[in-house]
Amino acid sequence: MHPPPRMLDRLLSLGIRDAQRRDMVLGDLQEECGARSRGAATWWYLRQVFGITVRSFVDRHKKARASTGDVFMRTTIMDLRHGARSLRKRPAVTAVVALTLALGLGANATVFNIIDVLVLRPFPLPDVDRILLLAETGPRMEFREETVSPANFLDWRERADTIRHLSAMQYWDANLIAMQDPERVQGYLVSSGLFDALGVQPALGRGFVRDDETQGRHRVVVIGDGLWKRRFGGDPAIVGKGVTVDGEPYQVIGVAPPRFDFPDGSELWAPLSFDAAARTQRDSRFLTVIGRLAAGRNESDAAAQMALIAQQLQQQYPEANRDHGVRVFTLRAGMLDPGTGTILSLWQASAVFVLLIACANIANLLLARAAERRREIALRFALGAGRGRVLRELLVESSLLALLAVPLAIAFAWLSLHAIRVSMPARILRFVPGWQDLGFNGRLLGFTTVLALATGGVFGLLPALQAARSSVSEALKESGRTSTAGRQRLRRVLVIAEMALALPLLVAAGMGVLGTYRFLNGPQGYDPDGLLTMKLVLAERTYANETAIRQFVTRGLESLAVIPGVERAAATNVIPASGGNVVRAIDIDGHPAPNPREPPTVDVRSVSIDYFAAMRIPIRAGRAFTTADREGTARVAIVSESMARKHWPGEDPIGRRMRVRNGPWLTVVGVCGDIIQDWFNRVNAPTFYQPFAQAAGTNVAFVLRTQGDPAALAPAARQALLGVDPVQPVFDVMTMRRALKERTIGLQYLSAVMSAFAFLALVLAIVGLYAVMAYLVAQRTHEIGVRIALGAAPTDVFRLTVGQAARLTLVGAAIGFGLSVALSRLMEAGLLGIASSDARVSVLFAAVLITSALLAGYLPARRAAAVDPIIALRTE
Amino acid sequence: MAEIYLGELEQILLLAVLRVGEEAYAIPILKQIEAQTGRKVARGALYTALERLEAKGCVRSRLGEPVPERGGRARRYFTVTPAAVRALRHSKQALMRLWRGLDSVLEG
Repeated sequence: MHPPPRMLDRLLSLGIRDAQRRDMVLGDLQEECGARSRGAATWWYLRQVFGITVRSFVDRHKKARASTGDVFMRTTIMDLRHGARSLRKRPAVTAVVALTLALGLGANATVFNIIDVLVLRPFPLPDVDRILLLAETGPRMEFREETVSPANFLDWRERADTIRHLSAMQYWDANLIAMQDPERVQGYLVSSGLFDALGVQPALGRGFVRDDETQGRHRVVVIGDGLWKRRFGGDPAIVGKGVTVDGEPYQVIGVAPPRFDFPDGSELWAPLSFDAAARTQRDSRFLTVIGRLAAGRNESDAAAQMALIAQQLQQQYPEANRDHGVRVFTLRAGMLDPGTGTILSLWQASAVFVLLIACANIANLLLARAAERRREIALRFALGAGRGRVLRELLVESSLLALLAVPLAIAFAWLSLHAIRVSMPARILRFVPGWQDLGFNGRLLGFTTVLALATGGVFGLLPALQAARSSVSEALKESGRTSTAGRQRLRRVLVIAEMALALPLLVAAGMGVLGTYRFLNGPQGYDPDGLLTMKLVLAERTYANETAIRQFVTRGLESLAVIPGVERAAATNVIPASGGNVVRAIDIDGHPAPNPREPPTVDVRSVSIDYFAAMRIPIRAGRAFTTADREGTARVAIVSESMARKHWPGEDPIGRRMRVRNGPWLTVVGVCGDIIQDWFNRVNAPTFYQPFAQAAGTNVAFVLRTQGDPAALAPAARQALLGVDPVQPVFDVMTMRRALKERTIGLQYLSAVMSAFAFLALVLAIVGLYAVMAYLVAQRTHEIGVRIALGAAPTDVFRLTVGQAARLTLVGAAIGFGLSVALSRLMEAGLLGIASSDARVSVLFAAVLITSALLAGYLPARRAAAVDPIIALRTE
Repeated sequence: MAEIYLGELEQILLLAVLRVGEEAYAIPILKQIEAQTGRKVARGALYTALERLEAKGCVRSRLGEPVPERGGRARRYFTVTPAAVRALRHSKQALMRLWRGLDSVLEG
């Protein structure tokens, strides 16, 4: 049994002032709600409360009318009744308008909810606005997270008193072993104040205290609610028990509250403990720092104090901190993915376009009705009604109409949000704070209602003004047939506007879809078909030196290679499209960097000998790695074409020397093709490869070139690696194709949503054109009859009508073409070159629009051509 | 004493409250009406009518104990006042008088 949502009390208070009475109503409702599912219960509550509120509101004001004679209230009630009656009198028009509007409003409500939940309140934490994110700034530091060095953090924590519970966090790929079963868990190493900074209390046991940061006493963990239930069966006596993480014994000291997974879907937290060396690390920046504003302080106090501290640290440690400052963000702003804003504004803009098109359609419909009602309205003027009153009544009517669409729009939004929520893979979802909270809430209802009322004003105003402007004598004198030229011009303008708004949406959607298609199916620089990939992060204790790692990789490759169906097995440190990367500063022998403080950086890969063959990355010059490239022999490297071009322009890189800064020199023995590491920022990035035998690290990934479906080999691959080390977790076992798909999921979402909006826009615009053409033909039946009677051929009439539709469409398309150029520029700029504007897309969709528009004009034109002059003239 | 006029819905409501007896709060009242008349009364209409009746002095209400399945909210029980019973009797008699002699027309 679900309690009624809290916001319903507020809604109800519009109708029932007395809190006790509201309590009774809500109590009755909850008692009757029974065993409905959560979604159904919310709906039911909403419907009931809505009905009760309206009834009580009207009842109260009916009483007010009788007793106080409040003129405004009384006339408003009259308008409401009048409006409701006139809507009921034309159920078809009402239904069409409500449905059209619901589509437009629903699209906006959906985007609003996404922005509201993901951008405005992604973290369900108390007083979230007082939680800050502190980032170091410096030359070439573009990010906000992972920017602070341990020594700087410790000094900040020492000196800042405007921010409490200052805490650092460090990403932690934890290999958890509990109940004999290894699993890779997303963990974070955090300072003792983190839970306090976030305002969160563990559900069981305790959080961290400063003493837990002491080296030697730091082997304690807090586990997440999900992990606790999944792996420990929700054991209430878990606190105090031992688990093994990364080969070390840890003691569980607490369980986080349900749904708490900050940051990045973390499920395991351990104290961030610095050894003596780390405490003095000042120019190695990898920590994310957050804190909570002290009572009575605000963000600018904190920013001012941190600026001062940063200045002191700069003077104290000029070597490491030169040009480094601090910036203070709210947690919300600081952790927001920089691209999100652009994409969401694009969506919101598109949704507004859809709504405007819907408005134009509705305004057209209402114009037609206003024409029917001209005489009614003129009569009322004649009988002494004020223009303001009539105007208001029409506006009240259109507002009522708009409100009718609200429940439908909410249902529409709820469905789309549900679809969006469930379609995101769980692996990615955890990096999007707030995703789980997408769905109905009070703010969504409020937004939709307000938007509906505003929309009602927009589409109601034009017809209402026209009606109020009409001259009494003319309207009463006129025969019903002719309508004034002005009104027809307005209708044409509206249709043109619809076309002009629909085209840019179509083009933008086309760009998105095309971009996604190119991402997934275009050349990657390697062959993504038939590849299975998997990752491991080797436990540092077990694999403490390169020899141990090399042994593991060699044995792993051996056991993977013998799986039936595997053509080739290879190892690397980073798989393309996996989101990971390793970047190092380098020196090129003979080409010193112009500014030694800012050396060039390139992507670095350690790969097994077979890697190029397994991935099908071509060797363009020189040679691939061989078994002769091993520990103790000359250190070698293969560079990508882009790296060769950039660092040895116009020269042959083979035989030249380079090194990772402060590392040993390597001789370039080959040049390989470029690959697309990441579609978003690593397309054909300069990269060099080292043989695994000469540069091994604990980040290991295997790739298998297979015959047949690579996914089918996943269990066998897992087994093979467990055979080498039974306590080493293997994760992200998936085909390369799937990795690519997940990597571009954001873009797929973008294009799917844009396509949905564009489709809506197209349908609405075409329906609008059809309606106007049909109306015009009906209006001109008499004239057409005269023309035919005077000898015009049906084809002439047909051409006349289609020509009219074509003119409207062409003008609209021309304006839309201009708009779409602007919009695609915006998309290009906002999406970092992912979507490239393509004139062909614009032309294609202009053609689609014009063709559908002509089809929409065809039916009314045929009707016009078939007009029988006898009948047409008889209607006089 | 001033005469109290009762509308049809008000009469139905009062009779339903009387039939339910001691434990008459909104839910059983609604059920009673539905069971006896086969007519669905909108919840909003019920609440406004009850409020109107209370203002007219036809019903009195009291709060019961908090109930867990109502989220800890109390039920509000309604009882019919003697004045309302008189009014009901009055309208019944008026109707009976009007019915008298019309059985042959209206029955069967």
